[in-house]
Amino acid sequence: MEPGLLKSADWPLLIDLYFFLGGLAGGAFVIATIANLLDARRHRDIVRMGYYIAFLAILPGPLFLVVDLGLPTRFLNMLMVSKPSLEIGMSALTVGPFHLKLFSPMSAGAWALLGFSVLAFLAALDVFLEDRGGRSMSTLRVVVGVIGGFFAFFVAAYPGVLLGATARPLFISAHWLGALFLVVGASTGGAAIALILSLLGGQARDSLSRLMRFTAFALILQLAALVLFVVAVQMAGSTGIARAGAQLLSGSYSLTFWLGAVVIGIVAPLALQLGGGIKKAAPGMTALVSALILIGGFVVKYVITAAGQAT
Amino acid sequence: MARTLAMFTDVSLCIGCRACQVACKQWNQLAPEEPEWTGSYQNHPHFTDKSYRLVRFFEETDAKGQMQRWHMMSDVCKHCAQAGCLEACPTGAIYRTEYGTVNINQDICNGCRYCVSACPFGVVAFNHDTATATKCTFCNDRIHNGLGPACAKACPTESIRFGFRDELAVKAKQRVEELRKLGYKDAQLYGEDKDGPLGGLNAFFLLLGQPSIYGLPDKPKLPQLNVITDSLLSIGAALLVGLGALVAFRDRGGKGGA
Repeated sequence: MEPGLLKSADWPLLIDLYFFLGGLAGGAFVIATIANLLDARRHRDIVRMGYYIAFLAILPGPLFLVVDLGLPTRFLNMLMVSKPSLEIGMSALTVGPFHLKLFSPMSAGAWALLGFSVLAFLAALDVFLEDRGGRSMSTLRVVVGVIGGFFAFFVAAYPGVLLGATARPLFISAHWLGALFLVVGASTGGAAIALILSLLGGQARDSLSRLMRFTAFALILQLAALVLFVVAVQMAGSTGIARAGAQLLSGSYSLTFWLGAVVIGIVAPLALQLGGGIKKAAPGMTALVSALILIGGFVVKYVITAAGQAT
Repeated sequence: MARTLAMFTDVSLCIGCRACQVACKQWNQLAPEEPEWTGSYQNHPHFTDKSYRLVRFFEETDAKGQMQRWHMMSDVCKHCAQAGCLEACPTGAIYRTEYGTVNINQDICNGCRYCVSACPFGVVAFNHDTATATKCTFCNDRIHNGLGPACAKACPTESIRFGFRDELAVKAKQRVEELRKLGYKDAQLYGEDKDGPLGGLNAFFLLLGQPSIYGLPDKPKLPQLNVITDSLLSIGAALLVGLGALVAFRDRGGKGGA
């Protein structure tokens, strides 16, 4: 009954890619900020690489979103229109031509993406200037890092909340998508930094092993959020939701889900790390674990979004 | 705000002639579409960007698969008092009119399609020609000139009625009583209750059976109500992630080591 009635936005792979890159950028930014706050000198490689990755990963995001719009020339309407209507939703805030709708994750997300992009650029610029031999404006970096950190969390999590605020059966009763997307952002952000550092070589072993310990922790959170999501879908008790859940867990998306999101994305990297990979932080092992986390992080976001849109 | 206007569709009077569907297409100048046969008289299976009105046909069968009743229902955008599409819209293109109806401003919509997935009834459709979202407007141009929507005007049995919501609600309740006296024990209103799901529907229905027979959700939910819970859980996850990073990178006086 319900599933046949509902429609889907049918967002293409480009949007999944944005969800993935946005989360990765947010995760990398937060890691860099915290490492910078605790010991900027010792974790210098992680701070540098984290801010570079955050900026480079978020760079194509707005482009993907604009390209996907039915009318890309109207992309600014997400933030402003010449004269907003009087009644455009509960808790809609309008100031002059600008509007923000707190209950529309897409509206709030558009603003957060704008804010994060600016701050990610500033952070990357600061480390770039330092790399070029200039002096880091350390106070500015802390301010940018902390404010940007909040935006980073928002950018990583909001796509999950956005999906949760649709009528799609797979999403509407499962409240864990925002949390899941956020922790996937953390694990993939950490993995992206670790992958590049281990490929470049010559970094401080200690920093890298700490980073890998953090990504292992994020992976455990990722597993927990995924389990909670699946349980919430199973417990919803509606035929439409059960059908959508079955599509993901035992239907046409099940192989991608179990193999890509669970085995490659969580179980394998955790097993490799807990099997001694963390302590030694051998570059080859670190690169392998990081690559697996990155693949799995994309797959988990893709497969949930796709299954939810299809059923 | 002016008095709320509403549409009352009485399924017991529908004869499935689809005059409403045709009138809607004509007035709104919606292009013809390829038929999509569904195995019944219904065409199309869903609302489309060119079909804002849709007469649905349902065959109710018993446990043995024997046909019991044939239901016909002229379906339309519900213009929900709490509208998922309107709340989802990130551009403010979807707005509530002074009559309480929900419209999409075609000059503002940028085609993100979020509203399409946020409608609990699958009403909003994406028009690939204009690259915007479209749906029934209750014939916004007509009702602002006192004409009433084209579908209600065309309906030969007055199955579709249009007017002030409070007046229609009284008539609808009387009609339910009437039908119950005639033996239609499961006659019921869907969406009339302002304290019910979605704050009441401005297109409400009289059904001859459970909503599920007509493919309608028993208790439609405003998807945006999830935003608070989902955000709180996300904040919890963010705190855990932040804490994890603090523990991982804090100075433990010397080399890392677990």
